[in-house]
Amino acid sequence: MKLKVYRGTALMSESALLDLPSGLAAFFMDLHEPRVPAVAVASGPCVYVYKNLRPYFKFTLPGLEVNALEQDLWQQAREGQIDPVTLKEMLESIRKKVDVPLSVRSLHFLSLETEDMDDFLQLHKQQPIRRQTVITCIGTLKKSTADDDGVSCLVIGTESCHVYVLDPEAFLILSKMTLPAPPTMMDVTGQFDVEYRITVACRNGNIYVLRRESDKPKYCIELSSHPVGLVRVGKNVVVGCSDESLQSFTQKGKKLWKAVLPAPVTTMASMDLPARGFQAVLLGLANCEVQLYRDKNLLSTIKTPDVVTSICFGRYGREDGTLVMTTRKGGLMVKILKRTATFEDRDSAPGPPLAQSVRLNVPKKTKLYVDQTLRERENGAAMHGAFQMDLSRLRLAAAKAYVKALESSLAPMSASLTEPLKMNAVVQGLGPSFKLTLNVQNTAACRPVMNLAVSFLYDESLYRMRSPYMRIPLLVPGLIYPVETFVECTSDKGVSDIIKVFVLHEGKSSPLLTAHINMPVSEGLTLN
Amino acid sequence: MGLFDRLAGWLGLKKEVNVLCLGLDNSGKTTIINQLKPSNAQAQDIVPTIGFSIEKFKTSSLSFTVFDMSGQGRYRNLWEHYYKEGQAIIFVIDSADKLRMVVAKEELDTLLNHSDIKHRRIPILFFANKMDVRDALSSVKVSQLLCLENIKDKPWHICATDALKGEGLQEGVDWLQDQIKTMRT
Ligand SMILES: Nc1nc2c(ncn2[C@@H]2O[C@H](COP(=O)(O)OP(=O)(O)O)[C@@H](O)[C@H]2O)c(=O)[nH]1
Ligand SMILES: [Mg+2]
Repeated sequence: MKLKVYRGTALMSESALLDLPSGLAAFFMDLHEPRVPAVAVASGPCVYVYKNLRPYFKFTLPGLEVNALEQDLWQQAREGQIDPVTLKEMLESIRKKVDVPLSVRSLHFLSLETEDMDDFLQLHKQQPIRRQTVITCIGTLKKSTADDDGVSCLVIGTESCHVYVLDPEAFLILSKMTLPAPPTMMDVTGQFDVEYRITVACRNGNIYVLRRESDKPKYCIELSSHPVGLVRVGKNVVVGCSDESLQSFTQKGKKLWKAVLPAPVTTMASMDLPARGFQAVLLGLANCEVQLYRDKNLLSTIKTPDVVTSICFGRYGREDGTLVMTTRKGGLMVKILKRTATFEDRDSAPGPPLAQSVRLNVPKKTKLYVDQTLRERENGAAMHGAFQMDLSRLRLAAAKAYVKALESSLAPMSASLTEPLKMNAVVQGLGPSFKLTLNVQNTAACRPVMNLAVSFLYDESLYRMRSPYMRIPLLVPGLIYPVETFVECTSDKGVSDIIKVFVLHEGKSSPLLTAHINMPVSEGLTLN
Repeated sequence: MGLFDRLAGWLGLKKEVNVLCLGLDNSGKTTIINQLKPSNAQAQDIVPTIGFSIEKFKTSSLSFTVFDMSGQGRYRNLWEHYYKEGQAIIFVIDSADKLRMVVAKEELDTLLNHSDIKHRRIPILFFANKMDVRDALSSVKVSQLLCLENIKDKPWHICATDALKGEGLQEGVDWLQDQIKTMRT
């Protein structure tokens, strides 16, 4: 556990931390020249402040209220009025009544074996009972000016569902606010003396907005899945959620948009370039990418060698547009925005194309149209019912016909697995003689089809066929085989009929497929 | 006698030479130009340049006009307006600023690809400045990082310098003088 400070590409200082840090913030705590920022490291119930890279001050959160009964019991134990076993029983009993939770010491005591209890009691009984909370997140809030190097207050969120604003010089508590659940992340904007907003994501999956005048949240944003990243963009809140989505809300909780992400979010930060009036959101993703979104539009994607776990964008040394990232395996990456970089704002989200919003020159509504609309409005339900009924009937009829076709191989397509065939027929000529071409195709992937024949069924008083039965050669898959024959119309009444074509397999009585050819009227004969 | 006086003497000319001095902010451009001026004209305090400043100084044989461009990001788009007039370029690099070497490269590439520079045989003198700083990169390393070997159609030269002491500047300016001489005859 170390606090490392880098300058340029080189490690400048390293100091050991006493406890696992839960948050880190750099801020100006005074107006002294030269302007050197202090570093605040939150761990456990304390904030350790480093100045000029040396430990400078330690702030400890005020203790929480202690259960009065618990205090009494330890008092009695200290005076020897009750033995450890009684103490344990009594503590157990008040533990069940959940008004003020027990201290860590009592909980530890309850977990001990009987033989260890006396030693524990002797060791601890002289010290007063304390109940401490821990810091879950930390941020900074400008005190009275918005200047880049203005003095800032520390804002800390605690496991006890509080948010504290600390004075930067004396570390007094300037403001204490209460939330419905423990905070996990926050975004702070504004100035303490003027007006500010603390947007807090809490462990209950909600986001609350705290303001200057009130010690309770003013707005609540309810999310459908837990927040993993939180950034305020202007008046709106952009949240990365655990369901791989990026969502935006107004601070009053109205959902503005949602973008689907390619992978789970690991971290989030805002990308502000005030000189260019550019504001966007950076997202670290579990698929080793960092994506840049302006509103719901993806502007850019950076591939990284490892999963990025934290992101910070801003001024680093002399460069305004620097992106600093840490990776899961402990890498530190720095990228500098090109001076000439432009961000194309194209709407990459799937949705209606731009052309859709172009106004069309729609003609005026006619009386008929208005009448129809009225009718539809009045009898909407009945019309819908009737339509649905007809639609169902139509579907049923179609299904029946299809089943029938399948059963009797009436279709010009063979559904047989061993002989998948397709056929279409072309009739050429004016009559009385017609040329009939059947295009037969074997649609199997690689297997040829053999032993096929074609037979025709027709009204012999109307037509005469040269060869009403023909054998088909072996069919190589994919090729189209034209099978030709001639039909002569023997009637001069100007009538026409259907000729049925069957493709048969030798030795099987039911056809593989059937086609109906609507013969044209023979014009040649009438001319005769 | 200042450095430029001597150089002008060798040239035996008294002509105007426009030199553009480019490079990122804080690389030492103003400090270098100040060193090149006659000692009686040298400024004592160097402050960050805003926009650009034009330094003119006549010597016995040559009249120099140096455009000392501000290297701050927001002023770098001014550079290109002076490319047409420039007859030589001095490009200064802070060899100790490893992080921004990529930015220096980016600006150099933009310069080399500009339509007013691209097709001209304009000499470029690189100063790998601040060589006195501990951990500063060598001039060889700097030329590698900037891919100078890719400049094929322009004469260029790089030397390591310490502008505070004036070390290394002489060598570079000698080279530039030679180039300007061959350019003019
Ligand atoms: N150590 C060292 N510092 C230098 C050198 N050259 C310039 N500097 C310092 O770098 C800073 C920026 O110099 P300046 O000439 O204003 O840079 P410019 O922005 O390129 O004009 C000043 O504080 C100079 O004193 C050098 O060779 N070595
Ligand atoms: Mg300058």
